[in-house]
Amino acid sequence: MRVFWEMTKRSFQRYLTYRAAALAGLATNFFFGLLRMAILLALYGERPQVAGLTVADVITYSALSQALIGYLSIFGWYDLMNSVYTGEIGSDLLKPLGLMRFWLAQDVGRALVNFLLRGVLIMVAFELVVDLVYPQTAVSWLHVLCTLILGWLVSFGFRFLVNLASFWSPDARGMGRFAFLSATFFCGQLMPIRFFPDWLQGWLQFTPFPAMFNTTIEIYLGTLTGTAVYLALLNQLLWAIGLLLVGQWVLQTAVRRLVIQGG
Amino acid sequence: MITVQNLQKHFKLNKQYRGAWGSVRTLFSREYEVVKAVDDISFEVARGELVGYLGPNGAGKSTTIKMLTGLLVPSGGELAVNGRLPWRDRQAYVARIGAVFGQRTTLWWDLPVIESLELLQHIYHVPNGRFRQNLADFETMLELKPFLNTPVRSLSLGQRMRADLCAALLHDPDLLFLDEPTIGLDVVAKERIRQFIRHVNRERGTTVLLTTHDLSDVQKLCDRVLIIDRGKLLYDGSLDALQTRFGGRRELVVDLAEPYSDVSVAGATVVARENGRVTYQFTREEIGASELIGRLSQRFRIQDLAVREPDIEATVRRIYEERLLEN
Ligand SMILES: Nc1ncnc2c1ncn2[C@@H]1O[C@H](COP(=O)(O)OP(=O)(O)O)[C@@H](O)[C@H]1O
Ligand SMILES: [Mg+2]
Repeated sequence: MRVFWEMTKRSFQRYLTYRAAALAGLATNFFFGLLRMAILLALYGERPQVAGLTVADVITYSALSQALIGYLSIFGWYDLMNSVYTGEIGSDLLKPLGLMRFWLAQDVGRALVNFLLRGVLIMVAFELVVDLVYPQTAVSWLHVLCTLILGWLVSFGFRFLVNLASFWSPDARGMGRFAFLSATFFCGQLMPIRFFPDWLQGWLQFTPFPAMFNTTIEIYLGTLTGTAVYLALLNQLLWAIGLLLVGQWVLQTAVRRLVIQGG
Repeated sequence: MITVQNLQKHFKLNKQYRGAWGSVRTLFSREYEVVKAVDDISFEVARGELVGYLGPNGAGKSTTIKMLTGLLVPSGGELAVNGRLPWRDRQAYVARIGAVFGQRTTLWWDLPVIESLELLQHIYHVPNGRFRQNLADFETMLELKPFLNTPVRSLSLGQRMRADLCAALLHDPDLLFLDEPTIGLDVVAKERIRQFIRHVNRERGTTVLLTTHDLSDVQKLCDRVLIIDRGKLLYDGSLDALQTRFGGRRELVVDLAEPYSDVSVAGATVVARENGRVTYQFTREEIGASELIGRLSQRFRIQDLAVREPDIEATVRRIYEERLLEN
């Protein structure tokens, strides 16, 4: 546990050194947030609500979906792939540590820096120009905290698995781009999943995508209430555990392959 | 400490076809070429030894080190380090060894050196006191102070190598693997690294196996050398013995004070003679230098003389080129 914490701490420091890049990303995220907000509002026209989301909800949704891009790394994360392709993975294998825990610890640092530098600041920026809605009770805030953490864990599990493809293919990057694009769309980052046709919503239940992001939105906006909240959290938790277990198993296979065939 | 028996590592490379149609063929082809990177190598290393693993580029040095550090599984043969199979229980095994790969760093690129070292302390569970003690020692010996707070990416190659050496030894491993630790360094930096390696071996009793394609590393550091080329072990022993066995002959150059008609002497042959200068060749087995000089000075008045040792570099080159040691 101590090792995990020390790695997280240093990863946090490391990502802080890239704060210029994070802040540049912030401006972009903010701008696109406004744009998407305008498009969604045009879509609403005179209607006060669509698929259970009010105008205020959809404004807040736009802000949130931009604020969490960096935190969840939804658009793509290729660090593990890069370390496989450059051979840096060899250095990590020479250290007495579990690779998945190692990357997980680093991702905590990455996510925290992005949450604080991009996430929070983007929400503040939006608050200055539009009216956002907030959870009303301390308990709701606690739910939001849980769903945020679980959403990140699911996204990590997914990103990790996608990156593991690099052990098998010399060009997993192209595959990765496709996977991350799909995730962006199906997790509700581009549009709330409630706006999707029913059959698609049905299908998406069997994928981890909604658990990365859409669940967080639903809990934050209060469109899920009562036991539904706990069921949604449980669903996220199960996806997280499932993806991490599969990731660990694939990782072991990947490393075995690497040491037998030689990168 | 290290036992290697008939060790092999073969890489399968998909056969490449040329041309536009060829790349399609490559994709579907099941044919492959086998590269025998390490081909039937056996040796043992005892505790406390400092052994050089010498060979030209592509000889199979890195591949051997990778197998010894558990990064590669052999295709054949046996390999045990401290009675363990390196790749069997990777985490437990690497916790007890140190390794530095010259072309690559084990430190974190974006972190200041000291942060990396402290992180390694936790990863290897080094007690605080021990860590401080080791760090203080290495800091002086490797002169790390000036760049302890510099991010690894801004270090020069020599500085990075010194930081990496420190990192590899903080947990007091009793076995240290170095893959080309002096590659790309200038003479001064090389010398500093060598001194440190010697110190670690002598004072700490750390067993060291280092690979190099630079003969002077071996000459200055190692009592024992393993010469490898194209995956085969060509020689295992001391450089001196190598020299005696395959070396060219030693030379004695004599400036005679007076002209003599017959300058021959028993035990050596005259290979050149101009004006008053005569060059003799002789071998270590036949006659020692001092004895030869004694014989000469009895017969001639000598103004000046010099012994030329045979060029070991040429010897090693001959071993590679003429494959002297292959059976
Ligand atoms: N992963 C690999 N796949 C295929 N061939 C490899 C691989 N690693 C090394 N080789 C080949 O094996 C031979 C020995 O390589 P290496 O051990 O790196 O040599 P050295 O370290 O002595 O320069 C070379 O011909 C190299 O091209
Ligand atoms: Mg090499």
